[in-house]
Amino acid sequence: MYNPTIVAHFSNPKHSGELPNANQELKIGNSVCGDTVFLKLRIVQEKVEDAKFTAYGCATSLATADIFAHYIIGKQLSEIIATPIDRREAMLGELEPPQMHCLHILHELFTQLEQVAV
Amino acid sequence: MKEVRTVLESLNNVGIDPVKAVIGSVSDVFQWEEQKVNEMKGYLLSENFRYHYEHNAYYRMLCDDNNITPADIQDFKDLHKIPLIPVTSFKRPDSHLLLSTSLTNIEFEMRSTGTSGIPSISRRDRETVDRSIFSLYAMYRDIFMFSRGAALFLFPSPEEMPEMGMVKALNMLSGLFDATKCLVKRASFKPKEAIEVLERWENMHTRHIIGPPFLVYKLVKYLKTNDIRLKLDKKTMVINLGGWKKFSGMEIPRSQFNEDCAEYLGIPKENVRDMYGLVEANLLAIECDKQSKHVPPWVHFSLRDPKDLSKEVPQGRRGVLAIMDPTSLSYPGFILTEDLVYLEKENTCECGRNGQKVVYITRVPGAEIGCCAINLEKHMDEIEAQKTTVAP
Repeated sequence: MYNPTIVAHFSNPKHSGELPNANQELKIGNSVCGDTVFLKLRIVQEKVEDAKFTAYGCATSLATADIFAHYIIGKQLSEIIATPIDRREAMLGELEPPQMHCLHILHELFTQLEQVAV
Repeated sequence: MKEVRTVLESLNNVGIDPVKAVIGSVSDVFQWEEQKVNEMKGYLLSENFRYHYEHNAYYRMLCDDNNITPADIQDFKDLHKIPLIPVTSFKRPDSHLLLSTSLTNIEFEMRSTGTSGIPSISRRDRETVDRSIFSLYAMYRDIFMFSRGAALFLFPSPEEMPEMGMVKALNMLSGLFDATKCLVKRASFKPKEAIEVLERWENMHTRHIIGPPFLVYKLVKYLKTNDIRLKLDKKTMVINLGGWKKFSGMEIPRSQFNEDCAEYLGIPKENVRDMYGLVEANLLAIECDKQSKHVPPWVHFSLRDPKDLSKEVPQGRRGVLAIMDPTSLSYPGFILTEDLVYLEKENTCECGRNGQKVVYITRVPGAEIGCCAINLEKHMDEIEAQKTTVAP
């Protein structure tokens, strides 16, 4: 049911926890199913220096938060925003239908980061 | 005498799952005398404890902290020593630690969301899903004996809410009926439509009504307000799951609810039944016709002193419920709930079943008021309010 990317990031998240010196926060929430991601960011001179998340929900949504955090750390905001859609979607690997809502979570994280960059 | 233990060990040795064998014999096991049941529980739960101790690093650490090893849990008298996992752990961001197997083996994630909006997620592997399904169907069959009839489902279809525990558990009943109709659509329920469906089924099927109390209550209240008295069937059942407290905090009065169901649905009062369960456990305790909620015989309910959770309270006294469920393999089914309950003093019942009978009282002070039903009610109220606001 879960592809190896989701298994790895869910079972051994590298970027979960708090970020005391964060200066930005992204929040994704779904009031019905309850999947929620809080992503705290330390952005210095348009570059994501660090990111930590706290997430509640299905395994794929937790893995999505970790995958996104892993992807953006060390990158310029402009580079992140320029990530093509197909590359974004490939980040989560092959998903089964009940996991597809996590693509929305991922796209929403990119969208909110774009708003930070403006 | 270790007769039961010997038989269960022998089953295991020839490759038959003793847990499934007990579940499959539910009607017979409900007749067993207490000592025999306790011997069975002691064996199944001590084996299950050993499994999690050996496969779950997080749980093993919890056991180490409590100085408990499988050598300490040999039979029924030792069960109270099994370390418990607080039910709130299933809401934690690091709930992956609860797994006794790899995520690769997880087949199904089930959720419940309370008023905080943070979901409680329980993850089940193939074996645990098998045992859960057998467990629920065994109890449904034993208590209700459904094999035909038509049921009005007053809850959203699993198509709309596929992972909600309450929906999943209630929808499993659909396979036992000839017809079902789901009347909560896009978070809206119209009692008038329910009445039309019930009337359409008249003289064709024995009609049943199934859903969380707040929605059944809404139907009954509509009948009462409009002075409509239905005459459903002699064997009609009204089956509730999801708690009697409404989102507003008001508690639906159970005895009045039974009276109103009898008067406005035209059914015997004893056919109004309630069930108790939680998403994190693979069980439903179901009311018999004597209105006693029977705990599945393979599950042990241990009631703890609210002031010292390591101590059990005597039977008949209120306590915090700890569930010990041997069907769970994907995570330890030794769960300290936030529910205050008591066990009826006698383990016999006029219905003929033996074993523990649970009476739910309330949530422990400070616990989140929440379950699938309350979250659903809140969501439906919000949608209704939005419709009212935008209506011309």
